Amino acid sequence: MMSPSAVTKRAAPVLACIGLLAVWQVASLALKNDSFPTAIEAIRAIPDILGDKESLINILASLRRMTIGFGIAVLVSIPLGLLMGRSRAVAAFFNPLLMVIYPVPKAALMPIVMLWLGVGDITKTLVIFLGVSLPVIYHSFEGAKAVEEKMLWSGAAMGLSPLQRLVRIVLPAALPEILTGCRTGLVLALITMITSEMIARQSGAGNILFNALDMGQYDTVYAMIIIVGAMGICLDAVFERVRARLVRWSEPQFDMPLSFS
Amino acid sequence: MRNWRLFGRFLAKLVPLMEDIRQTGCVTFAVSEARDGMKVVPSRSSEWVRPVTSQKPASAIIEIDRVSQVFQTSARREHLALSDISLTIEEGAFVSILGPSGCGKSTLLYIVGGFVSPTSGAVRMKGQTITGSGPDRGPVFQEFALFPWKTVLGNVMYGPRQQGVRANEAEAQSRALIEMVGLKGYENFYPKELSGGMKQRVALARTLAYHPEVLLMDEPFGALDAHTRTRLQNDLLNIWERDRKTVLFVTHSVDEAVFLSDKVVMMSKSPGRIREVIDIDLPRPRRRNELLLDPRYQKYVVDIERMFDESDEAGSLS
Ligand SMILES: Nc1ncnc2c1ncn2[C@@H]1O[C@H](COP(=O)(O)OP(=O)(O)O)[C@@H](O)[C@H]1O
Ligand SMILES: [Mg+2]
Repeated sequence: MMSPSAVTKRAAPVLACIGLLAVWQVASLALKNDSFPTAIEAIRAIPDILGDKESLINILASLRRMTIGFGIAVLVSIPLGLLMGRSRAVAAFFNPLLMVIYPVPKAALMPIVMLWLGVGDITKTLVIFLGVSLPVIYHSFEGAKAVEEKMLWSGAAMGLSPLQRLVRIVLPAALPEILTGCRTGLVLALITMITSEMIARQSGAGNILFNALDMGQYDTVYAMIIIVGAMGICLDAVFERVRARLVRWSEPQFDMPLSFS
Repeated sequence: MRNWRLFGRFLAKLVPLMEDIRQTGCVTFAVSEARDGMKVVPSRSSEWVRPVTSQKPASAIIEIDRVSQVFQTSARREHLALSDISLTIEEGAFVSILGPSGCGKSTLLYIVGGFVSPTSGAVRMKGQTITGSGPDRGPVFQEFALFPWKTVLGNVMYGPRQQGVRANEAEAQSRALIEMVGLKGYENFYPKELSGGMKQRVALARTLAYHPEVLLMDEPFGALDAHTRTRLQNDLLNIWERDRKTVLFVTHSVDEAVFLSDKVVMMSKSPGRIREVIDIDLPRPRRRNELLLDPRYQKYVVDIERMFDESDEAGSLS
């Protein structure tokens, strides 16, 4: 049995979505604009898109690029960020480089990358990779920097080598911070995925969306927005579950320390 | 804490007085003579700077040899944290380093642990110069420094597992240790679910688990309330009296140092130096309730406190 507060907690996001759709429905009915379909029209168009083989292939291609870009970015960025957090030399080398890349919108690099690598998967995946890397590096760096030195000394006294300390102490100790970066990275992966497909239109969810826009199929445009939004919400929810499970030891859920010495 | 200290001083004055009354039937100046007769520490400042004798007993386990430590402060000034420290620690001894905050106690301990290398001088463990940390010297820090992602059992097992002890064997040993430090039933708790005193018990068990020859304890009870601290002091003594490991124990509490130690190393500040090494000649096993009433204990405490007070005055005059 769920407690009443748990029920409200579960129901809240659903209610928020329904509320949003209701506002949309009312607004579009009131405005009566061709380029602004009602929520119900947009939802009706969703099965058409998902039932169409071509569209499905496009969407899956987007997801594949996103997964690869995100995966490689995480695999490269976590070790780099941790090394930067524990070694002044590594930080001094990479910091200026990252400071230059950080504020540049990654999609703005697309045209250059396209010139070199074409409009295919590699270009789009690379842009996703760049978008995800920076928050993950940054949070890994901050997490590794904050690791208590005495914890590392305790490990050293047990006989852990510097590399073992990085993997077996710095990594788990910084994990909550790292996963916060990964969560930001995941949302950024979705954003850069769509953006890259808007710029290099050839395949993908962003491609469907913009083709529909060109052809004035506004219900398809809005349906695609709902699909992409739903994808984002689902990915984030799944990730959040995994994250919460991995760092249960750090969440302040047991507020009351036992009063026993 | 303060009240206890005052009470201790009061008792220290009272007890010899009462003995005199009992023995002689009257109160005379014999009180001060009797106290002088019991004197264990020289009180004139010229005698404080007596260098530590470099005699080398066969049982010396750690030799600190003319260690100095200079820190670069942020204002690009050099700060002499430790100046020419020499000290020999015998195997199986419980040695406390006592001094005001900032006199370099922690730094000295970190150097012995091999976590910090000294600017000059060297530390030898069983004749071998220390160049880094190792499982023969186990630290226990004031900040506990537990691995928060590991349970109590996981923390205690970490060292033995790292040393290649088989999992089930390490677990059995660790469970026994957890019971010894009084945490039976908490094996699967995470550090965040424990109070400060419990965390320090886990930290002690975690270090004992890999059998270091020397325990390095840096104000381990400094972050705990007075009641918890007393309990942990008692338990530490009980544990120590079983296997008599060598312990180097940093504290700024005079009572704690006298209660626990065979030897108290008094340090002074700016630059950090050894002022005096005092042998604490009190019987073991020590029981807190007996010791607090023991005039010898009280005299050690009072004398050491007076020496710190005098040096403070001398410092403020110069
Ligand atoms: N890493 C460091 N960098 C600069 N100064 C330090 C460092 N560690 C300690 N010190 C200085 O050295 C002195 C001794 O410090 P510490 O050993 O922590 O003293 P204690 O443990 O006796 O309080 C202090 O003045 C402190 O500010
Ligand atoms: Mg200290």
